[in-house]
Amino acid sequence: MDKSNATSVRDAVLGYGSLIVWAICYIGALFLLRKFQLEGWVRVAIALLPILPFVLFLSMVLAEIRSLDELWRRIHLEALAIAFPLAVLLLMILGLMELATGLSPNDWSYRHVWIFLPIFYAIGVLVSVRRYK
Amino acid sequence: MKNRLRVLRAERKWSQADLAEQLGVSRQTVNAIETEKYEPSISLAFKMAHLFETRIEDIFQSDDNSNSET
Repeated sequence: MDKSNATSVRDAVLGYGSLIVWAICYIGALFLLRKFQLEGWVRVAIALLPILPFVLFLSMVLAEIRSLDELWRRIHLEALAIAFPLAVLLLMILGLMELATGLSPNDWSYRHVWIFLPIFYAIGVLVSVRRYK
Repeated sequence: MKNRLRVLRAERKWSQADLAEQLGVSRQTVNAIETEKYEPSISLAFKMAHLFETRIEDIFQSDDNSNSET
């Protein structure tokens, strides 16, 4: 709220910029790991590559959260309170379905499941925003 | 908790955005307080009291107080 326009623009550029770089790194890593037979340590290095831009993105998210007013902080807290149990539920159900039906880890591996977590968070934000609207 | 924020704001002919700017919060926050969907922190309540040059209890009243007065 107290931020100047120049600071807001800089933060937005850094935030969205790091998000875009992270997405490019992630998709690039997926492509390289699927298409090329590389040495073991190179594969690990490529797999860890998205961490760097994501850490920058995370620091921008934290800075943004700290700059929010008290209502919006509560909205994000409630979003986490909704997203976390949903994530637990998803992992629990997938684990049980794996036992019940032999759900293939190739179809429901880590790389398929993580995308649901930000979706749950977004659902949490929507639910919480509606409450205070 | 009931509050007179909308009345006090209207008396000064301020918009929600005007009030939000002076309090350093978002317009949504002012709206949520006015519609009694959100109860502000004590520091924000003090800020409001200071801005309207009144006491906190003149802006906010607990539901118990409102019932006992009626």
